[in-house]
This record gives sequence, C-alpha cells and structure tokens, in this order.
Amino acid sequence: MIDTAQNLKEYKKRLKKALDNKFLRSAMGTFASAYKEAQGRIFQGVDVEGLRREIAKGKDEALPHLEELYQAFKAKAEAAGVKVHLAATAREANEIIAAIARDNQVKKIVKSKSMTAEETFLNDHLEKDGYEVVETDLGEWIIQLRHEGPSHMVMPAIHLSRQEVADLFSKVTGEPQEPDIGNLVKVARKELRKAFLTADMGISGANFAIAATGSLGIISNEGNARLTTTLPRVHVALVGVDKLVPDLHSALRILKILPPRATGQIITSYVSWITGANECRTATGGQKEMHVVFLDNGRLAISRDPIFSQALRCVRCGSCANVCPIYSLVGGHNYGHVYIGAIGLILTYFYHGRKNDRAIVQNCLNCQACKAICPAGIDLPHLIKETYCQVLQGEEKLPLKNKLLRRVLKDRKLFHFILRRASLAQKPLARGDGFIRHLPFFFGKEHDFRSLPVIARTPFRDLWPKLYQKVDNPRYRVALFGGCLVDFVYPEQGIALLKALKDQGVQVEYPMEQTCCGLPAKMMAEKDVAKEVALQNLAALDPADYDYILTLCASCGSHIKEAYPKLLAGTPAAVKADQLVSKLIDFSSFLTQVLKVTPKRFRGGKKKVAYHSPCHLCRGMGVVQEPRDLLAIAGLEYLPARDEDTCCGMGGTFSMDFPELSAELLKKKLDAVEETGADLLVTDCPGCVLQLKGGMDKRKSPVKVKHIAEVVAEAQEAAQD
Amino acid sequence: MGPQTDLNLFKEKAAAVQVVISEITDVTAAFDYAADLTTKQGGKSMAAFGWDGQDRADLEKACSQAGVNLVMDNLREHAANLHTALTLADWGIAATGTLVLDSGSEDLRLATMLAEIHIAVLPLSRLRPDSEALEADLVRLMASPPSYVAFITGASRTADIERVLTIGVHGPQELHVLILKDQES
Repeated sequence: MIDTAQNLKEYKKRLKKALDNKFLRSAMGTFASAYKEAQGRIFQGVDVEGLRREIAKGKDEALPHLEELYQAFKAKAEAAGVKVHLAATAREANEIIAAIARDNQVKKIVKSKSMTAEETFLNDHLEKDGYEVVETDLGEWIIQLRHEGPSHMVMPAIHLSRQEVADLFSKVTGEPQEPDIGNLVKVARKELRKAFLTADMGISGANFAIAATGSLGIISNEGNARLTTTLPRVHVALVGVDKLVPDLHSALRILKILPPRATGQIITSYVSWITGANECRTATGGQKEMHVVFLDNGRLAISRDPIFSQALRCVRCGSCANVCPIYSLVGGHNYGHVYIGAIGLILTYFYHGRKNDRAIVQNCLNCQACKAICPAGIDLPHLIKETYCQVLQGEEKLPLKNKLLRRVLKDRKLFHFILRRASLAQKPLARGDGFIRHLPFFFGKEHDFRSLPVIARTPFRDLWPKLYQKVDNPRYRVALFGGCLVDFVYPEQGIALLKALKDQGVQVEYPMEQTCCGLPAKMMAEKDVAKEVALQNLAALDPADYDYILTLCASCGSHIKEAYPKLLAGTPAAVKADQLVSKLIDFSSFLTQVLKVTPKRFRGGKKKVAYHSPCHLCRGMGVVQEPRDLLAIAGLEYLPARDEDTCCGMGGTFSMDFPELSAELLKKKLDAVEETGADLLVTDCPGCVLQLKGGMDKRKSPVKVKHIAEVVAEAQEAAQD
Repeated sequence: MGPQTDLNLFKEKAAAVQVVISEITDVTAAFDYAADLTTKQGGKSMAAFGWDGQDRADLEKACSQAGVNLVMDNLREHAANLHTALTLADWGIAATGTLVLDSGSEDLRLATMLAEIHIAVLPLSRLRPDSEALEADLVRLMASPPSYVAFITGASRTADIERVLTIGVHGPQELHVLILKDQES
C-alpha cells in the first residue's frame, strides 16, 4: 500500500508534484507557524532543556536493559492475568495477533492508533486472514478508507482537505456529506460507535510499558483508545520493545513533553494506565482476555549499537516533522515510509529496508531544527548521515560526487588548484558584479533559481601576506578559520573582519595549511574523508597557539563543534579537537563578548536591516542574541522578520541535490525579508550569503545582502570619516 | 503552592480546554446541577458513581424530581441513550487541569466514554499541584491490579481534519467540573 520512491529520479518527480499541491502547502505552512507559537507559550518558565536531558538520560540508562525490563514487565503482567509475548519480527507479531483472534473466535476488530501496527502492516495481515478491522482514530480511519499510509505520526490525515474527507464519507455512508468539519466528525462518531459496540477484539498500541508494575500507558485525544480497550472482550496491545520504561516516574516525565511537542497541547484529553486484565462483563469469567505483544524487529540490536541506540529514545511525538522545513513543503508521504520526519529517514532503513530509504535519506538540509526540538535530544541530523553511510555501503555504484570528493578533498593542494582553475575557466561568464552571467551548460534549469557567485580572482590566502599586520603586545592572539567560501569566493568578508578588528589589540593569524572543514564530506556521508580533513586542520592550526579560533562561517564552526569530537573520538587527536572547540568563536560573539565593542566605535548610518539567523549559528553554535546585539551597537535599525531562524534552503550540497526544494525555501525566506521593508539583509554565514544574495539578485530586489562582518566594518568606517 | 494557587491554576488550565467549572459547598448541589442540566439538554438518563447511603438517596431524589432516569448498572445496554455521567473524581492535577479517576469499574469507564456529557465532582482536598505529587498514590493503585486509571482533561477532541479543533469525537462532548469546597482554600 505504501509506495516510497526507490531512486532519486522517481523521488524528485514526486517532490515536484507535492510542491504543486497548493492545499498541502498552505495547511503545512499554517501548522508550522501555530506549532512554533504553542511551544513558546506552553513551556514558558519551564526548564525544557533540563527535562530533555533527564528524558535522554532515563532512556539511555534503560536501553541496555530492555531484555530485563521485558522480563520484569512480563512477570508482573502475567501475575495480573495478562499474556505477554515477544515477537522477533513484524511477521511474527502479526501471526501472534492473528492466532489470538482465532483462539478467541473473533470476527470483528477495532483498532486505536498504533504506529507499531503500521510498522508491521498488521491490518493487511488480519484482513487477509478474513477479519474485519476498523481503525477508530479519526485520522487513521480516514487513511484506512483511502488505503493510504499515515502522513504524520500523530496527525495521520493532515495531508487531506475537508472536501476530500467529505467526498470520502459520502461514499462510505451512501449519503452526501457537507464539507463541514463538525459534521464530518459527527459522521465518524456515529459510524465508529457501531464498530465499537460489535467488535470482539480491540487492538491498541501503547506509549509506555511500565516494567515495575506491568502497566501500559496510552495517550489519546479522541477517547477511542479507552473504548478500544474497554468494550471488546479481547484486548491486544502491540508495543515496540523500546517503549519499556522502568517506572511510572519515567513515564510521567515523558508525558510532560510528549503532547506539547506532538500537537501543542499541555496534555491530551485522555491518558489511560492499564494494569492487568480488568473487568469486562462480556468476557468469560467477567475478566478481559488481555495480551501484550512486544515487537523487537531489530530494536534489541539497535539498543546495543553505539551510534544508533539513541534512535530508540524516540517517543513518537512527530515534532521532528513539525519543525522540518522540507516536511512543511512536501508533506509526510514524501518524507518517510511508514515512520515519517527526521526519525523516519533513520528508522525506515532499519524497519523497512535500504531500498525504501535510499532516496529519502538524502533529503536533509542538516538545518538541525529537528535536533533542537526533539524531546529526547536525539541527534537526528547526525544519525541521518550515519544512516546514509550505511545505505551507501549497499549501493552497487557510488554517486559521482562521492567519487570526486574522495579523490579531491583529502588533497588540499589539488583541491585548491582546482578552485583556482575554476576561477580562470569561468572568466568569460563573469558579470563584473561578482555573479556568473549564466549557469554553465551542465546545470539544469532547475538550478537557475539563484545567481551564482564567481570564484574570486585572488583568494583570501593569496591576499594574506599583504593584509597581515603585526600587532605589538596584543590582547588576544587569534587564528582565522576562513573556510572555502571566505577564502575562494568572498575574500571581502575576511578583509572586513580585519577592518573590524583594527586597533583593538588583536593579533590575527591565517594558518596557510588550513583546508575545507569537511562538512561537505559529512553531508555526503563520507566519514573517512571528513575525518582526514579534520586531522589536517588540527595539524595546520594548533589551538595551543591561540586564545581564540575565529570563524566567519557558521557552517564550518558548527561542523567543527559538532562533528570533530565525534570523528576523532578515541584517537590521540581528540584532545586537540576538544581544545579547538573550546576556543572556537563566531564574529559577533567575539566582538560583543570578548572585545566588548561599544556604540562609540560606530555610526551605522541608521540603515534598516533584516537579519537571517543561520541554522549553523543559532542551533549549531548556539549563538542567538549576539548578532542582534552587535547590529544595535553598530547603530543599525534591526527589523525582525518572520521565521528568522528557518533555513534559507542552502544546506551546502543540498541546494545542488534538491534545487526545487532549495528554491522554495529561499523564496519563503526572501518574501519574509522583503515584508520588513529593510534595505539590507544581514547574516553571518557565507553559505547563507551565497544563497540569499543569489536569490535577491535573481528577483532583482533592491535589498542588499551582506555578511555581518562587512556591515560592521562599514558602520565603523562611517564613524571614522 | 497553597490550595488557592492550586485551585486557580486548575481552573485556568481546565478552562483552556473548554471545561465548564463551578464551585459548590455541598454535594447535593452537584446532584441538582446534574439532574437539571440533563433535563435542560433534553437528556433522559444519567449514570452516577461514587455515592451511597444518604448521598445516594439525595441523588435519587434529585433525579426523580427532574424526571431523569438513574441508570444503575449494565451500562452496555444503555450505551445508545445515556446522556449524563456523574462521577466523583479521585484526584485533580492543577498543572494540567486534569481529573484522575480510578476506573476499574467497567460501568464507570463506559459511562464516562459513552455519555453525551460528563459531570465530575472534584473535592478540593483531592487537588494536587502536579503529577509528581500524585505519583505514590498512582503507583499504589497500579501495584494492586487489575486497575484502570484514567487521566481526563477536557472533552474528547480531535484535530485530525485540517487541524481544526473539534470537540466530542468518541467520548463526551462536554466536561463539567464541580469543585466541592470541602476545605478552606
């Protein structure tokens, strides 16, 4: 039933179709904004970070003991009259449940929402065996009637309009139904009530399986889970073995954050805590026939994996989808297989195979929005790349870009030689204002959504000997980590930095052996290459020689901070990597926190500026307030824009792989900036500058785009005139 | 946090999920409230849980005066026409505006799901600031199975179609909480 693109070509075709679906786009957009607002409101005054840490810690402590927790649960539950099963595979789980149905002479089955049952395709199995299965969660019922998979873990039918649902319900009831949501809900209430009252067996999932007491915890808004577990004489719960928690305390802790993250509610309408076989008048002996089927399907092995075990911290809230800029463009059916969102790109590989994952797993911007929202603190972007690594190992042919990257990136001299050659080769295409006149022939027209910059005639490193200034008795010794874009495309940003630091007692060095930070390698899942260039950079730039390592590129900074310690863990270089991270600082933080610059130095000229907060700065490096403070100190009028911290669509190599998505994200961003009425758009990552500047040029907008270092240097020059 | 802060918080959070809240000083007021509301809404029957002795007699009186049929047991047979479920909440949780009901009785579970409206009496003395404060009590219930404990916060709801909030999918369409002032707040 679920048909996920198995290759990139087919996948891109579907993405394009999704981009043309206007309803989906507006529904997703509205939801994304409302969701963000709700998060701030609910967690006002709450230590969310502390809660996230505790949940992650609790899960990490429990995961190595899943088998013991299972045994403890089983002992308690069986003592209370429940039969407990452990299914090694999806098929086994389905067969166990079918056998329970057979043994109890079941004909009709009602189900409340269970992602685990979606994972095992339980309905298909039971229907094949001749049982009538009715989903009772409204969204699940809708998609069951449409023979679709869920498009969101919590809101499975979010991709459909009321009109589509009305058409569907008209067919089901044989009477015309008005597309009025209140009316449609009433139709479902009436139809499903009948199903509840005549069902012999109820199948539910569970959000928690509490080992200490053998209890299940089930969260629901509609109340269908309560009816499913109460009315029929047989109750079977299908539960992923990763849902085991030691005690009620752990469950209540997760309950504090799961509903807010899922739907923006502080708690769902109902939470049911079921222990043992409860009273049921229609069952033999007046007691419910109750079974709990735990599903392994690879989970126990994942729980032992040093990299992927944290994927099992997932509490299935769907927040990684809720904040994902790509999900909000294309919807869940194009962003996962059964499990959707960032976690879906990972779990699909394990539960539904490489073929279903090989295209979708590449569709990640690494914008880190999911990582920032995840209630269990899962490093989703990192795991997505690790999953892609696994996927690539099974590919017969390596993508060409990976082959090139392997050959070129490890050899700095060769890499830089190619960049210099490219500068010469593109000369006839250069427009004079820093842009290429038209794209070289090998780019398709889908890449034409932004103007591309020319590669600088003289890279920053070649300018350096002339730029270098010795400072006597410096207050700070600082190494500049340029990054490829500053070095080869935007040397003016580096020059601006030097101007901004002038006469402040800062001795700046530019270690010549530094090379690409390695982020492109990480994006392409080339771990070995990423590790190799990390080592080269550490050799080029000994953190012991400097007070700070300053970078103008948030992406380089974020990659060094996030990935270097992981890549080099267990090697002797890990110490240096750690020291490098401790000394790493972005431009705005250096000026405001270290140099403590004051407005006296500047005369901003009262320009109206909008600000784009780079993903890798605000989430990657955790720098949020400093750039905004710096703009104010420099005398600029800052006009806040919508969704300032939403990705601009660059995502490094992402914008080359998925240009249509990149273009759409860029459009949203530029629209939001233009709405503010600003003359100037400021950001602090040369990657974002490339995207935003190229986009503004393409739409012939009067809004200029600059790196914050350039803006600060100009504001200072104005003051010195 | 004192009882008054807890009460204010409970009211704020419950009101945010469309709960209708009143304060009463005597439980008979709850019986009249339930009987009157049932009649006013055109309902004919009510199921009630949690009262016996004199309270039960008072409840029966209120119902018969209002012409409401008080369903005693076998809720399954009354599924189609039950209008009101009247319950005595075991606890309230202020932080989320939640009622906690020990729902081991199948009839209670069915009534609070199948009725059109649910009216719960929450004694102020049973209000707790948050779920942590209730943890030991809940664990005690879970440790003596079988048990079915329900957290109920507002009426049954869905946002499954276009994310538009709609009340009353499978369960009650209204939730009323009558706070019984059995202690000084």
